[in-house]
Amino acid sequence: MASVDFKTYVDQACRAAEEFVNVYYTTMDKRRRLLSRLYMGTATLVWNGNAVSGQESLSEFFEMLPSSEFQINVVDCQPVHDEATPSQTTVLVVICGTVKFEGNKQRDFNQNFLLTAQASPSNTVWKIASDCFRFQDWAS
Amino acid sequence: IKAYQNRTPERLMENTQDGNLGDWFKITVPYGIKYDKTWLMNSIQSHCSVPFTPVDFHYVKHLAQFFVQDASAASALKDINYKIFDEENQKIPIFVNTSAVPYSMCNKLEPEKMEQLKLTISKRYDVSQKALDLHKLRFDPDLLGHDIIIILNRRNCMTAILQTIKKNIPELLSLNLCKNKLCQLDGLSDIIQIAPTIKTLNLSKNELKSARELDKIKGLKLEELWLQGNPLCNTFPNQPTYVSAIRKYFPNLSRLDGQDLPPPTVTGIVDMDIIKPCKESFKGPETLKNLIFQFLLHYYLIYDSEDRESLLSAYHEEACFSLTVPYNSEDPALSNLCEYLKDNRNMKNLKDSDLRFQLLKHTKCEIVNSLCVFPKTQHDLNSYVVDLWAHTEIMLCFSVSGVFKEVIEVERKSQGSVRAFTRTFILSSGSNSSMCIVNDILTVGNARTEETQSAFSIPVPTPTFSSLSTLSQEQQEMVQIFSIQSGISLQWSQKCLQDNEWNYIKAAQVFATFKTQGKIPEEAFKQIS
Repeated sequence: MASVDFKTYVDQACRAAEEFVNVYYTTMDKRRRLLSRLYMGTATLVWNGNAVSGQESLSEFFEMLPSSEFQINVVDCQPVHDEATPSQTTVLVVICGTVKFEGNKQRDFNQNFLLTAQASPSNTVWKIASDCFRFQDWAS
Repeated sequence: IKAYQNRTPERLMENTQDGNLGDWFKITVPYGIKYDKTWLMNSIQSHCSVPFTPVDFHYVKHLAQFFVQDASAASALKDINYKIFDEENQKIPIFVNTSAVPYSMCNKLEPEKMEQLKLTISKRYDVSQKALDLHKLRFDPDLLGHDIIIILNRRNCMTAILQTIKKNIPELLSLNLCKNKLCQLDGLSDIIQIAPTIKTLNLSKNELKSARELDKIKGLKLEELWLQGNPLCNTFPNQPTYVSAIRKYFPNLSRLDGQDLPPPTVTGIVDMDIIKPCKESFKGPETLKNLIFQFLLHYYLIYDSEDRESLLSAYHEEACFSLTVPYNSEDPALSNLCEYLKDNRNMKNLKDSDLRFQLLKHTKCEIVNSLCVFPKTQHDLNSYVVDLWAHTEIMLCFSVSGVFKEVIEVERKSQGSVRAFTRTFILSSGSNSSMCIVNDILTVGNARTEETQSAFSIPVPTPTFSSLSTLSQEQQEMVQIFSIQSGISLQWSQKCLQDNEWNYIKAAQVFATFKTQGKIPEEAFKQIS
């Protein structure tokens, strides 16, 4: 990451993160069945400390979750240093918000993503390489 | 006087229930199929100004319907049309029409038949197993002998069965409805309220065409279900799809059609209603776990010390750090987070790309400079929940959440605010082999009351000493390292480690707590040479 280019990386990361957050939570709430498509084939989710790996298991997992209403309050992101993920453009995204799963009370959560850029001829597609979700009970 | 006695209130009530008095009304909820019966009926009952007894609740296609007999209830129900909001914030339409007497009411079984049915049911009930076997009920010789035909597809028959169960079998565990030509489960849906204890249900060899019928009884906490011999079984391409489709209705299911089910791919994660958290997760080897604990221990020992500048060596030259505060401008309690708010890089509110760039601390000097400005802290390592959620040979990505206390320097004894935090680190071993932080994202908020109370609640140790020679080689090494790192004597180090069952991290945490509270006696710091 040459420092002249650093702002370009940051801007790119921010754009990717913002767009991703919109798509992800809309899909989660409204089109759950398609959610696993946002993950890489080898992606891992750690959900409240329980690990789920691979697209098929992920899709089963999401089908089992009660329907949700997510509200996002905080988004932050950073381009991951090239040394940690060599030649693989990666963005770390952190989200805080509240979620109401049907039949459960509304809870605060914190979610982290590692997004990785998949270049296609027409544009760049960001896919989830890793995902970590936890209920967090911040002061409400 | 006799004539008068006949008109006791009970008698009147009975007449009303028999349907001899009053008109009937049909209540229709278009798209009612979307709603769970219990939820829908509770919502309607609680909004309706006149209490009522719903009769024959059922779903037809997308409609939910039931009947009421009371004109005042019908009129009150008319008034709540479009008054109830569903979970998606949509108003629920409720239509009321006059109606003929509902089927189960005009075809109610006569008392003699009910009595015979009760006898038959008690014969088929196994008290020791709490199991009721109603297979092929239509051809039960006792019933046929009394000219009683029970066809369970008929609502009046199913209602009669359920009423008998309700009155006579309070704790039913198992119900066998095999071979009853059932093609729908409308009538059975009341069983959720009548016999919520049922764990085993046999519906095999019936005529159920779609798994969606199970929606009507999905409130049951079934552990075992039999469906084989129904047309619905052939609607699935393979066994796994069949199993997972049925499990959606009954998440606790452990046996289907007599076969033990493999545990769900993600055990313990979704109990449908309860999503059970694990305290921490490490999908990597034990050595990584130790590495991360060592890292956190050292990082926060320095972070909580007077000397945060020393963290400089923990960061990569071009590392990134940013901070967010889950800030709600309407919440006055957060105004005390002002020390952090100026660095708040919440992209949800911050749209300007230059500002976003500015607030991202880049290079280790800039990072440590901003860390030094934050209030002095004392972290509670016991509160930590750690997730290692990505790692490769050269990187570790983990999140830690917990609480810390702000230390007020002027008046050391007073209690500072307790904060909750979540922090995600990415460590890389990159070109040179030592690990350093390349990414660091911190979120700070106020701790909830429970967190504040449970934090920092470790009892003061009472010193007891034992000779070093009784310790293992490993324990002796731990004592020496602890003594060097903490600056307290070997004996006190050993004491501290022993009190914490030789858990180094816990011991260090307890030590740090007592040190800041000034509870470590002076003599502990005197090295005995």
